[in-house]
Amino acid sequence: MSDLYDHTKATWCPGCGNHLIVRALDQAIERAGLDRHRVVLVSGIGQAAKLPHYVREPINVFNGLHGRAIPPATALKLANHELEVIITSGEGDMYGEGGNHLLHAMRRNVGVKAFVHNNQIYALTKGQASPTSDPGTTTKLQPYGVVAGAFNPLALAISQGCSFVARSFAGLPDHLEEMMVAALAHKGGFALLDILQPCVTFNKINTFKWYKDRVRPLDSAYDPFDRARAVETAFAWGEEIPVGIIYRNHRASYESQLPILKAGPLVGRYEASVA
Amino acid sequence: MDLNIRIAGEAGQGVQTAGDLLVEAFASIKLHAFSTQSYMSRIRGGLNWYDIRLSDAELWSGCEQADLLVALTPEALEELRPQVAEGGLILYDGEAPDGVVGMHFDDLAKEAGGNAIMGNAVAAGAVFGLLGYDLEQLVDYLGVLFGRKGPEVIAQNAACARRGAELVTAHAGRLTAPQPSDGPQFVTDGASAFGLGACTAGVKFVSSYPMSPSTGVLNFMAGMSERYGVLVEQAEDEIAALNMVCGATYAGVPAMTTTSGGGFALMVEALSLAGMLELPVLVLLAQRPGPATGLPTRTGQEDLQLTIHAGHGEFPRAIYAPGTLSQAYALAREALTMAHRYQSPAIVLMDQYLIDMHRNLPPLDEAYRPIDRALTSDGGPDYRRYALTDSGVSPRAIPGGEAFVVCDSDEHTEDGHLTEDLHVRVAMVDKRLRKEEGLRSECLPPELYGPADAETLLLCWGSTYGPCREAIDTFAAAGQSVAMLHFPQVWPLPAEAVRAAIGERRRVICIEGNARGQFASVLRESGALSACELLTRYDGMPFTGQEIVRRVSP
Repeated sequence: MSDLYDHTKATWCPGCGNHLIVRALDQAIERAGLDRHRVVLVSGIGQAAKLPHYVREPINVFNGLHGRAIPPATALKLANHELEVIITSGEGDMYGEGGNHLLHAMRRNVGVKAFVHNNQIYALTKGQASPTSDPGTTTKLQPYGVVAGAFNPLALAISQGCSFVARSFAGLPDHLEEMMVAALAHKGGFALLDILQPCVTFNKINTFKWYKDRVRPLDSAYDPFDRARAVETAFAWGEEIPVGIIYRNHRASYESQLPILKAGPLVGRYEASVA
Repeated sequence: MDLNIRIAGEAGQGVQTAGDLLVEAFASIKLHAFSTQSYMSRIRGGLNWYDIRLSDAELWSGCEQADLLVALTPEALEELRPQVAEGGLILYDGEAPDGVVGMHFDDLAKEAGGNAIMGNAVAAGAVFGLLGYDLEQLVDYLGVLFGRKGPEVIAQNAACARRGAELVTAHAGRLTAPQPSDGPQFVTDGASAFGLGACTAGVKFVSSYPMSPSTGVLNFMAGMSERYGVLVEQAEDEIAALNMVCGATYAGVPAMTTTSGGGFALMVEALSLAGMLELPVLVLLAQRPGPATGLPTRTGQEDLQLTIHAGHGEFPRAIYAPGTLSQAYALAREALTMAHRYQSPAIVLMDQYLIDMHRNLPPLDEAYRPIDRALTSDGGPDYRRYALTDSGVSPRAIPGGEAFVVCDSDEHTEDGHLTEDLHVRVAMVDKRLRKEEGLRSECLPPELYGPADAETLLLCWGSTYGPCREAIDTFAAAGQSVAMLHFPQVWPLPAEAVRAAIGERRRVICIEGNARGQFASVLRESGALSACELLTRYDGMPFTGQEIVRRVSP
């Protein structure tokens, strides 16, 4: 039988950053010591959102609608807070179509880990501007260049009190894995990991080399709990792009504060759950 | 016999509080009480009214005229005076013009040693006085109502009620009122009845964006959160609400959302997702008139076609339409059960009229009796979430156990992974639609009321049950043979069985709260009905039994 329909074969372009991201995720899940039966990968729609189908070993998958990864992930965590719920989706999905959900996920601080593949372009729809495209970027749809300003996920997240805010780059596999492991270890609620990633087909500006020349891992003296410093770091974009854990705080997770969940996961209390 | 009391005033004046108090008080003395509400979309001002119909026999509908108008503002008096029945009385909160019983409820409450809030007790006392009911029984009821607030508050309210009754004894007018009979003590409303049905059936997660007239259900379930272990989440929008419900059901928790037409419109893509992922989502859609924002606080039955057709692509769903409060309770369970049995969305259509309706009825069972979630426990390494079966229903496992549960909004293989294999595609469409046959075979039959051989048959669905039933009784009392066929489930219908139930009649009249006869269209399209008359109402107000009699009569 031909492998035309073999779901284990990734449909991404050769050289796409997604290949590196899925490898890093597989390794991070293993390094974090997670039981794959108790992990759910949630995604929306887009090239990045196909990732859950291409992981190394079987895992639970909820591949939902475009822009709507966060609501089912939130509910999953509330229905069974013993599951590790990881979103892997693109910036069009998470910052564009689903922007409102991102705001409210950060407000709630629900314990979901969001890994956002950010290639500054819409790839599945074949090369239109994304919310993070730099002004001036030309595409078939924006032949005179993008006029709107670029969405800054990190600054937004910090301003909303997101409890874990990090950035990495697909071209730094060790660093990326490190950031994923740190996000998975975060027990204090919602974690946003923005992953810079070249699109080898549609983004001819933000290439591997472009990112490689600019990304600068934060040094060990950097204190992510310093909010003012974090805001400053989040706005750094251009000749130097800082990567690492940009910001953290000590908020308690949403699910840990709901009285109804004190007795254990909702799903486990079905047969006789009258208090 | 029966009698209608209309309490009217501005939003924020306590019209609803006074009405609720009286319904409970009348139930406590074994009358049959039935209330409906008419209110404007505002928090203060305007003109709202609350009708309480009383009888010595069970009631099914509101009525048009008031026998006793309790007017709290000059506007209420002016606007609603023309609808007071001949021989009726008016009780006015203020200096009364001729022919009206006037008293300042709040001032009297203060004089009687209470505070302005206790004006309601003064009014209740006055109403009891005008109707000739035993005031001591009202005082007993106030003792129960305010039991938790302590003896002082009880005594103050009792004094207020007595003061109100005393003052009306000076007035000559009296109304002939129905006598207490066998009215049940238990009082509930549509929102609470549906909410209780959902809680006792095992709904564990509710995610909604508040929207009239559905919010009462959401509030009720939030209040029951601890008792039944229900997590109620206020979603950022309706898109999130139904997507959350999809996530919760995937995790194994029976879940639902509450909304109205405009909110449901935003949920449509997620409904299609539930169809594709085969998730047992439950939607309560409390209808109000549209299009767009329409009349936010009024009633209508305009969203039937929307719910039947909502969602891109083709997938099964079950749609229920309770006609009474006990049916609202029972159909919450039925809808949740069928959603799980067929792993498909279920929608319950109510409306402002039914949601806000209060009445006394035999108690609803509050015991927790969770439905069968129809889960499989034998997932293993070879588990396939979408295994092809004869019924179309695949074994459903939930994440966290032995099975890996994979689901995808793309067309997918039996193991849940996305595919573009067009043979698989066809097999999956067929599998999903086979479930519709199962749902159709378990469709609740319509209920016939009235003589089976009646020449005239009224067809109705949802909340028009009561007004139609009252009309049938009125026709019967006049020796006219008219029957009704009420549909508690409106989709998917077994066409042959429905055709047989309708039978051969001289007149078939479909009664609907919309302009185009949406249900009649559904019946015609399915082949269950060839032609019928339409009796529609779409001004935002509910049908009454009297109106149906008037408009159906040849």
